[in-house]
Parts: sequence; C-alpha cells; structure tokens
Amino acid sequence: MKLKDTVFHRRRFLNGLLGGGLGAFLASFLYPVLRFVFPPEREPEEVVLPSSEIGDMGPGSVKGFRWGAKPALLKKGKDGSLAAFVAICTHLDCTVRYLPDKAKFHCACHEGWYDENGVNVAGPPPRPLRRLAVSLEGGKVVVRREGAR
Amino acid sequence: MLKAWIEDRTGLSRVERFLNAKTVPQHRHSFWYYTGSAILLFLSIQVVTGFLLVFYYRPTLGEANASVARIMTEVPLGWIIRSVHSWSASLMIATVFAHLFGIWITKAYRRPRELTWMSGVALLLLALGFGFTGYLLPWDGLSLSATKVGTDIPRSVPVVGAWIARFLRGGEDVTGDTLTRFFGFHVCVLPFLLFALLAVHVALIQKHGMSLPLSVERRGEKVKGLPFWPNFVYREVRVWLVLFGLLVTAAVLFPPSLGKVADLMAPAPVGIKPEWYFLFLFQTLKIFPSRILFVDGDTVAVLLILLGGALFFMLPLLDCSPGGKRGRFFAAAAWGFLFYAVAMTVWSLF
Repeated sequence: MKLKDTVFHRRRFLNGLLGGGLGAFLASFLYPVLRFVFPPEREPEEVVLPSSEIGDMGPGSVKGFRWGAKPALLKKGKDGSLAAFVAICTHLDCTVRYLPDKAKFHCACHEGWYDENGVNVAGPPPRPLRRLAVSLEGGKVVVRREGAR
Repeated sequence: MLKAWIEDRTGLSRVERFLNAKTVPQHRHSFWYYTGSAILLFLSIQVVTGFLLVFYYRPTLGEANASVARIMTEVPLGWIIRSVHSWSASLMIATVFAHLFGIWITKAYRRPRELTWMSGVALLLLALGFGFTGYLLPWDGLSLSATKVGTDIPRSVPVVGAWIARFLRGGEDVTGDTLTRFFGFHVCVLPFLLFALLAVHVALIQKHGMSLPLSVERRGEKVKGLPFWPNFVYREVRVWLVLFGLLVTAAVLFPPSLGKVADLMAPAPVGIKPEWYFLFLFQTLKIFPSRILFVDGDTVAVLLILLGGALFFMLPLLDCSPGGKRGRFFAAAAWGFLFYAVAMTVWSLF
C-alpha cells in the first residue's frame, strides 16, 4: 500500500525498522567486544630512581630505566645536567642506544640518528625522541611526563 | 555476475535449494525443536567470549589467578565478558539437558536416528568436559578442590583408573602442569573434537529431516510443515533474543566470583561443591558407604554411573519397539531419571 504524498512504502518502513533494530542490536554486541580487545594504556605517573643509581654516572653517560612498559634512558650532560628520553625511535619503534663517543642516539634498525638532545639529525626518523621531565627531589631523581606538574 | 562466478566454483545453490525445501513439522511438541538452535546460540557465544578471554588469560601456576583478576578489574568490560562466558556455559548445558530430554520423551532417537542420538550423547560428554576443565582455569581454592576430587574419581575404576587419573592431572597430583594441561584441553583438544562431532550430528539431522513424535506419527494425520527458511528461522531468532536477554541479565546481576589464588598445600575449603550440573553425580557418590561387602563403595558407585552412562548412550538400541510395552517403560524411565537427578541435586544443597 502506498499513501498519497508519502515517500515510504509500508514494507520499506517496516524493513527499515527491523533492519535498524537488528543493526542496533549487533552494535550493542560489538561495542563491549571492541572495548575488551583494547586494554587500557597505562603510563606511569612518575618513576623514582634512587640516588645510588645516578651517583656513579660520569658526565656524558647514560643509564637505562623502565618507563612503564617502555625502555627509557637517563642522560647526564657534560655540565652535569640530567635529561631523560623514551628510548624508542620515532621511525618504527625500535629501541635506540646512546653512543657516548659520538654524543648521539643511534637506531640500528634503519640507521636513524639523533643528537645528544634527542633531535633527529639523520636517517628516517621523522620526529625527535620523546623527552621526559627530570627533577631532583630530596636526593632522588624523579621522572615525569613532560608538562606534568 | 559475482553470484554466477561463485556458483560456478562452489555449487552453493544446492545448499540454497536444500534450505528452501526444508520444512519443520508443526504439532503440539514442536517446542522441542527450538532447543537445538538454542544450544548453537550459547555455543557461538562461548566461542566468541572464549576467544576474547584467551587474549588476556595466562595458563600458568603463577599468573592464572592474577590474569583473571586483571580481566575482572582492569580490562574494559572484562568482567561482563567473563560473566557471560560463565553463564552461557551453564545455560548451554541446561539447554543440552532439555534437548536430550525432549528427544527421549518424544522418542526422536528411534530408527533411523540412532547415530544422531549417540553423537548427541558424545557431545554432551564433551560439553561436560568443557565445564570441568574450564572450572579449574581461574585457579582459586574452590576450583582446585573441585579438580582434585574430579580427577580422583577415575581412580575408582579398576585396571585403567589410575592411568586415566595420571593422564588428566599430568602426574600423581594436581599441580601447575594440570592447569596448563586443562587449558590445552579446554581451548584446543575439546573444541576440535566438539566441532568435528557437531558436523556429523548436524549432517545426520539434515539427512533424516526433523523427526515426528511417536504420538503424532501414530495418529497418522497429515502434519503441517513450516518452511525452515525464513519462517522457522524467524521464530528461532525470537527465542534467541529472549535467551540472550536472560543471559546478559544474569551475567550483569550475578557475575562469577574469584577466590584467592589456589594454595596447593592448603586444606579444602568448607562446603565445596562442583558446578550445578555435576551435583546429582556428586550426591550419588556421597551416599555410597565406604565399603560394600568386600569392595570399595566408590568403585561400586563409579561403575554404576558408568553403566548408567552406557545405557543412556545405547538407549535407541535398547528401546527397540518404541510403540510397545517396552517403549512405555523407557518413556517412564525418562521421567524417573529426571526425578532422580532433580531430587539428588536438591538433596546435595542441604
């Protein structure tokens, strides 16, 4: 049946209602599945390194530590200042190393180079290494996300 | 175009023709026809939620309990996925019981469907195997005790019993090896067996078509057939929606608990019980005295249960004249068995 001046046939309307209901039902089923599949990413609020860890660090040397599930490097500059980087190449996620004699970070996967401040200088890396904020609090080194407190 | 291309290579239109021609008889007992697809609904839910749980579950002594705790507390909506898996398992087994009971009282297993029944009983055993192995995986005090008891029962069987127990446990005792082994059974061995057997079961059902209950067949009237596609399927979908609603409601309101991590040296917790579908067997074992004449009570009980299982498996062969006097005895036996199972289950709760 088709009413005068209407765009819908009754059958089309009912099919839309049924199909829409079914679609909504499937969506309500898929939503929890998709949520479940992706676990929450938890980045640490802060990582505290005891002073004994850094006491033996000479100028221009680095020390590795864990930033949540990621490797990170604490670097002592020639002037004694501390800096921390997530040691992950911004190209394709390989872990980088620090070469003290060249004063550069090197990624062996695709020959990526970063200078001592973590700025990409050669090879494929598109961005500088991610920096973390370092502060000395009561003789301990506290590493936080950059910009946090 | 595409349809013709696929048709040319697969011959799928045969399936289409088959489904278009298939009918489902309509009569007073048609209700039982819906139990089969309800089982498939719960089975599909088990497969999907099982895949999901396996993403986070870790089947080792040190990590099993903690990984389930993580699923319950940290993974987004993990608690409801586990709860649905646990509830759907129970509902599937309940539906399997209903399915078999319906077939028993309508005598749908009679010639030529004996093998359909037998493959169905084997599928029931696999379903119980899933329940039993899955129960251990959270690795808490309750699941450990239940597994110790469950894997000790085969020991009462003469000759091969001790060997079966060691096979199930992966050694003399329940240990971390048992956990890993049960995980293997639960996600690998049993699913393969289940789907192979299910394919046989469903193929046999399609070969013979839907069975008519004896009482309907004997009246000899012409029975109306409902087209399977789409009429019957639409009706099945309505049943599924109701069951799915019940399942999710139960899963949200009563999620399964998780006890403290199992301690292999700790005494059994007070009042341990297996899953509800094992309760009637649990109670049967409990009421046997420790000695009967000169044999262990356990041995007698386990052998009687095995005998019962064998008779159940061979039911279509024993009930060889379903319409006769003997047939009436077997119909009564269905109700007798139901009464026994319910009574024993209720008894076990007190």
